[in-house]
Amino acid sequence: MRNRHLLKNDLIAYSFLLPNFLGFLIFTLVPIGFSFVLALMEWDGANEIKFVGWDNFLALPGDETFRISLVNTLYYVVGVVPLTLVCSLGLAVLLNGKLRGRNVFRSILFFPYVASLVAVAVIWNMIFHPTMGPVNFLLYSLGVQKLPGWSASVDWAMPTVILASIWKGTGYFMIIYLAALQGVPKYLYEAAEIDGANAWKKFRKITVPMLTPATFFVVMMLTINSFKVFDLIYVMTGGGPGRATNVLVYAIYNAAFIQFQFGYSSAIAIVLFVIVLAVTLVQFRMERKWVSYV
Amino acid sequence: MKTFRPIPGALVLALVFSLVTAGTTAAADKTVLKMVVWDAANTAYLQPLIQAYQEKHPQVSVSIIDIPPNEYQDKLSIMLSGGEDADIISVKDIPGYAGMVNRKQLEPLMPLIKRDKVNLDAYSGVTNDITVNNELFALPFRSDIWILYYNKDLFDKAGVAYPTNDLTWDQYATMAQKVSSGFGTDRVYGSHYHTWRSTVELPTVQDGKHPIITTDYGFMKPYYDMVVKMQNDKTVMDFASLKVGNIHYSGVFYNNQVAMLPMGSWFISTVIAKHKTGEATMNWGIVKYPHPVGVKAGTTAGTITSMAVNKASKQKDAAWDFVKFFCGPEGAKILASVGNLPAIRDKDVMKILADRPGFPTDANSREALNTTTVRLELPMHEKVGIIERILNEEHELIMTGSVTVDQGLAEMTRRVKEALGQK
Repeated sequence: MRNRHLLKNDLIAYSFLLPNFLGFLIFTLVPIGFSFVLALMEWDGANEIKFVGWDNFLALPGDETFRISLVNTLYYVVGVVPLTLVCSLGLAVLLNGKLRGRNVFRSILFFPYVASLVAVAVIWNMIFHPTMGPVNFLLYSLGVQKLPGWSASVDWAMPTVILASIWKGTGYFMIIYLAALQGVPKYLYEAAEIDGANAWKKFRKITVPMLTPATFFVVMMLTINSFKVFDLIYVMTGGGPGRATNVLVYAIYNAAFIQFQFGYSSAIAIVLFVIVLAVTLVQFRMERKWVSYV
Repeated sequence: MKTFRPIPGALVLALVFSLVTAGTTAAADKTVLKMVVWDAANTAYLQPLIQAYQEKHPQVSVSIIDIPPNEYQDKLSIMLSGGEDADIISVKDIPGYAGMVNRKQLEPLMPLIKRDKVNLDAYSGVTNDITVNNELFALPFRSDIWILYYNKDLFDKAGVAYPTNDLTWDQYATMAQKVSSGFGTDRVYGSHYHTWRSTVELPTVQDGKHPIITTDYGFMKPYYDMVVKMQNDKTVMDFASLKVGNIHYSGVFYNNQVAMLPMGSWFISTVIAKHKTGEATMNWGIVKYPHPVGVKAGTTAGTITSMAVNKASKQKDAAWDFVKFFCGPEGAKILASVGNLPAIRDKDVMKILADRPGFPTDANSREALNTTTVRLELPMHEKVGIIERILNEEHELIMTGSVTVDQGLAEMTRRVKEALGQK
């Protein structure tokens, strides 16, 4: 009797999960599985599929564009993750305090996250326009002689993209930190004050440790998202100038939909998958060492 | 007090029913051909050609699948790989054509050409450039050439004589410098290079000594040097600004910011149209594309735009009939009448083109479209797609000043060699 009741409950639960799972199965899981198979094949989407074994993977180290994309992706991740983390934490702490109009600031800072990415990319390109943009105008009036070319220069294109990405992502992670800050008990601060701790001490010894679960989540999401970057780069620089902002997902897109090498493209995708998986596993391993769930 | 009154259900039903049946009866006795095109709104010849065909063949109706021009080939290729059964495919460029031929997505047309006795000689050799192993997978309808547009008002203001139909690149560069003037946002630039690789590279292959797919790009140096110098002298706008600002060549020409513009003949119809709407008001003219010393005037580069039948089409005969009309002599006249340069170019067609209201009336402009030799912008090659990508990337690096001309050309040489060597 009891078992039948439980079974019924389970079935109801599954039936609610089913629509979502079906969509996931058809549009995500099956294509992912298919791409594992494709990585061992040579296929242009029209002619016959040919089995080539590990050839696609073996060709990767010799492919200059792949190597450049890999390095660029790491550059992007290393640039975006820590800076976004620091910015969102800083802003969250600032806006958690008693501040006039803090709701207005919160909304303003969250706005970039909901704004259309294409519009954001176009506006950033205008702001950093090498000859007509306000940033270079400001630098020029400050007496800078050699103005950076921003997204049109090999050295500055990636920093420009990283900057745009931080601006766009910070708001979202700030909200997560704000929510987490609500959960830090007031009495901890009161106790610290009695012991004579200053603001910095309180931040270091109470806020940061209490926020570690949130930080763990933020680092995780940021890392995975940064490895997947594509859209911002597609609109802002098109992977250029030259190959200066060519990242892995861009290489995947190019191989698949411009060169029609679906097998090769899948091989790059799997390499990306393995990298992200490895980074994620390492982060979970490290979790015990620095995250405290009190 | 107003109350909301629902429309009686029967009426709604009747309405819906009549709409549905109207739709089906219209479709039942008509052949509907689906045609993939880019930028339908800005393509002046599309509607007149379709209308002319539909008038001749009232049982056929042509519906359009419109794709933005920048992503045309990418999107089209993906659609076709996904089994899209649109009947007629516009072929925008050679890399796109080569890709679709490699993937066997286009219907071979030779048997139909032979069956219907289509006269390929009328295309004055253009069809040879897209013939693959004696088979033709598309029929050209436009074959545009590169010419030099200029703004007469700006030349008058600068007191410089207009360009002529026999201009060397050196003379052109000197002229560009003379006609440049002003500072900041008021600056008039002598000439203009759109961000395409072709704007700089086409003059390098005009003499016919070097193909654009090759294993040594050193021969491109003189023209890269020329354009980089013009850019440094502010005789032309700076590449990085144009690229980041996504600035189209048409705007700067209409706004009297550039005195000359080397560009394809497709731009003629647009300039005429913009004069009609009042967006452009300047006096303008065209002359032949400048040429290197020792090369005959009238030697230029060209592109082919063609029409193909989708291999997956379920109405290939009807599609072929439309393609035949579109690319044939009748289509050519309509194309010329809206200001485009058709692939079939006889005296009649050229006269229609030059007599068009809005076409510059001076003798030089009327003569400008006559050519001696036309070199294909990009030849048919199995790897043309990947090579074009390499050339584009290195072009971008040279023009943004990220590398010197020599470094950029050396990289081009190294990378193209490598790409050609791969299986």
